[in-house]
Amino acid sequence: MIKEKYITNVKEISLNVSQSRIDSVRNKNITKTGLRVYDNGYIGYAGAIGNYDESDLLNKALSTLDNRISYDFGIEANKKIHEDYSTEIIDENKMLDEFETLLSVLREEQPDFYFSHKFNLTDYSVNLINENGLDLYHKDRFISLGLLFKEKKSLNIMDGFVGFEGRKYDRTLALKDIFHVLNAYKNKVDLPNKNILPVVFNTSEELPFLKFFQDLDGNNFGSGSSLLSGKMGIKVFNDNFTLYQNNNPNDIPVPFFDAEGVVNKNYRYSLIENGIVASPYTNKRISKKYNLPLTGSATCEYDGVPTLGVPALKVKESVKTAKELLGGEMGIFVLMTSGGDFTPEGNFAAPVQLGLLFDGEKFIGRLPELNISSNLFDMFGNSFRGVSKDNCSLLSTSKYMIMDMKVSKL
Amino acid sequence: MFKFPEGLYTDVRIEDVYETKIIYTMGEIEESKERTYKAAFIRIFDGEKWYYNSISNIEDIQAEIDLLSQYANPNEHIEENPVVKKFQVNKENLLKFKDGDIKKISIKEKQNLLKEYFPALQEYEFIKHWNAYYVDRKIYKEFYSSKGSSIKFDNQTTGLTIKMKFAKGDKHLAEAFQKSSNNINDIKGKIEEFKSFVSKCYDFLINSKPVEPGNYTVILSPIAAGVFAHESFGHKSEADFMIGDETMKREWAIGKTVGKELLSIVDDGNINGNGYVPYDDEGTRAEKTYLVKNGLLSGRLHSATTAYYLDEDLTGNARAINFEYEPIVRMTTTYIEPGNMTKEELFSEVENGIFIDDIKHGSGMSTFTIAPSLAYYIKNGKIADPVSISVVTGNVMETLNEIDGLSNETEIMSFILGGCGKMEQFPLPVGFGGPFVRVKSLNVQ
Repeated sequence: MIKEKYITNVKEISLNVSQSRIDSVRNKNITKTGLRVYDNGYIGYAGAIGNYDESDLLNKALSTLDNRISYDFGIEANKKIHEDYSTEIIDENKMLDEFETLLSVLREEQPDFYFSHKFNLTDYSVNLINENGLDLYHKDRFISLGLLFKEKKSLNIMDGFVGFEGRKYDRTLALKDIFHVLNAYKNKVDLPNKNILPVVFNTSEELPFLKFFQDLDGNNFGSGSSLLSGKMGIKVFNDNFTLYQNNNPNDIPVPFFDAEGVVNKNYRYSLIENGIVASPYTNKRISKKYNLPLTGSATCEYDGVPTLGVPALKVKESVKTAKELLGGEMGIFVLMTSGGDFTPEGNFAAPVQLGLLFDGEKFIGRLPELNISSNLFDMFGNSFRGVSKDNCSLLSTSKYMIMDMKVSKL
Repeated sequence: MFKFPEGLYTDVRIEDVYETKIIYTMGEIEESKERTYKAAFIRIFDGEKWYYNSISNIEDIQAEIDLLSQYANPNEHIEENPVVKKFQVNKENLLKFKDGDIKKISIKEKQNLLKEYFPALQEYEFIKHWNAYYVDRKIYKEFYSSKGSSIKFDNQTTGLTIKMKFAKGDKHLAEAFQKSSNNINDIKGKIEEFKSFVSKCYDFLINSKPVEPGNYTVILSPIAAGVFAHESFGHKSEADFMIGDETMKREWAIGKTVGKELLSIVDDGNINGNGYVPYDDEGTRAEKTYLVKNGLLSGRLHSATTAYYLDEDLTGNARAINFEYEPIVRMTTTYIEPGNMTKEELFSEVENGIFIDDIKHGSGMSTFTIAPSLAYYIKNGKIADPVSISVVTGNVMETLNEIDGLSNETEIMSFILGGCGKMEQFPLPVGFGGPFVRVKSLNVQ
């Protein structure tokens, strides 16, 4: 029998913003411990929040072996990697004063708007350790600045969102980003008079990837219920489209290993490479069941069995800037959508509540409410222009993803 | 029970939770667990700011109160603070679920409930992949405040979901069969209903064609109508978006006409199901709140803070998803009240329209969106061919005025997987529902 522990800790300071002022401070420090036992091809498991009794936890884990949940996939061994991505972002004791100051600037210089939502400073660690010599440890600290804005004269409950998540903070840069969006918002512009236009997404926006989350799921892919089933090794997308499963902490604040201890080269795995379907995302169970590559996409509740999770995705960047990808045209930057989805055939449509006219470097103005529509194989096929090498924000690593789509006023 | 610091308002919410989660994939067991934990959320208010802490060791509550109080500035007039004055003082033990306690039902029996579906699932070659979920949750909550509240109540929900991936040739469909209740006996014996649902999905898989985009008269099923009410109007009724906002106060003045006279939308935490919240997380008793009554704006949803700022009554809608979060204004069970037409009458008047039978998700701000999973054309008053649709959208306020018919029965539903999301807090269990709702014109893509 092999014992394995999966321990997560979240320590967070959260400042809540209401009516452009901080109205509350929340502290959180929560440790969750999962204990797994592997015995004769079966897995037992138990978990605890906060303090726990070691022998109680073990007995509970042993008792769940009676469920006879098979786990005969090779347990990770002899691998010790400790990585610490945490840096001094902001002095915790000065956080309240700092964001009071930032909000006072916004109140003074953007008096047409109300701001609400959160500033979070999060310390996160995860440790996977077993009796086979596995010891993976990831530690991180990141700041999330998220502000909903609402024009004072507007009848909406919110009009837009500004913010970033990353490992650095600078008030001047943060305000520059926020002002960039707000100043564009105040300038109403018309939609360019064309049916097909370049549509620009921030790469952290999940909407255009919804179909990949579903149809690159190893279960769907392997069982033949995905649009991409049977297309492994076949080119169905643009030559310039490469999609990674992304566990790389240098790109986003994620652990470099999955819940089964799988560590990929460069902490990424190619799911689509130069337009060719390379692999669905899998965990050990799915990989074995359908004879698919193991991509290391397991997730786990603290007290449960590792299961297939939805990974973070990253599109390989081009060598061009957003301005170069737009090639002199104006783009439609999608800041806020209301729903939107794909049909089973891959047809896509989404109402855009807030779109900004974008020249590749600057947001020019606010567009009327729009519909955007296309099809998965066009969006990432002939209509795909690429992902920019330049970042959307001065404080995060998100890029611009640009594709041509049908655009019309709502 | 606790020694509350002088000059500050303090409350403590303790959650004693039992949960079961069982998952089978293609007949193979993948998860079968019972989770129990006890944890707490502490709030302190000094009249200027709130200070919160969530803790997982409840024996430390007093120490955490003492520690948290050091951040606050004691205020000898705290009891005169208008928000503090708004808080109700309630004392009650409201234990409703002693009978049929899901904690006393063996995990074997819960597993067997799912296994009943396996033969049917394995029979259909066009179901390429499936997961069967059983989930239950029993929560015992205690609430104590420095004003003197002492409340204990319970709630339990139980349910199953069969998620299926259908495929035949190039055609694909993802659908789920779902049942939930407060009592496990209510979700037993649903095999025939399940088989009929699978037949409907198969017909959709084989015969559905992409929709011709455009504006149509649309009839929403009770589930679609419930999600529409929740997304399009429920969120707009959450008063935290309105504090200090004079434009919104003017625009959302009580008594304003927002829809046709036939339309009434209610939120009520007293209804059994996922949205049963007899006391909210500030210790306020649940109320039946008409958001819209006969087409007129009639009320909105409140925490103590929002009720004070808008000078309105408490409604019992301050809720947190769990012990890690503070209560914010949320819905409970939100539904559209029934009208006076039979379902047949409602359909018979539509010459060329769309019927949304089931949905994947919905969302809404000034524009709402519903992503249908099962939809059909309506031709000459009858449900006709299945049609595949990406999204149905409309402007919320215009759509409320476009509702021109309601069937005469409201169905209330809950889902055991997922829930409502607002900012960082997801998923919150809620109930929703409605009758069949006819909308004269919606954009379908």
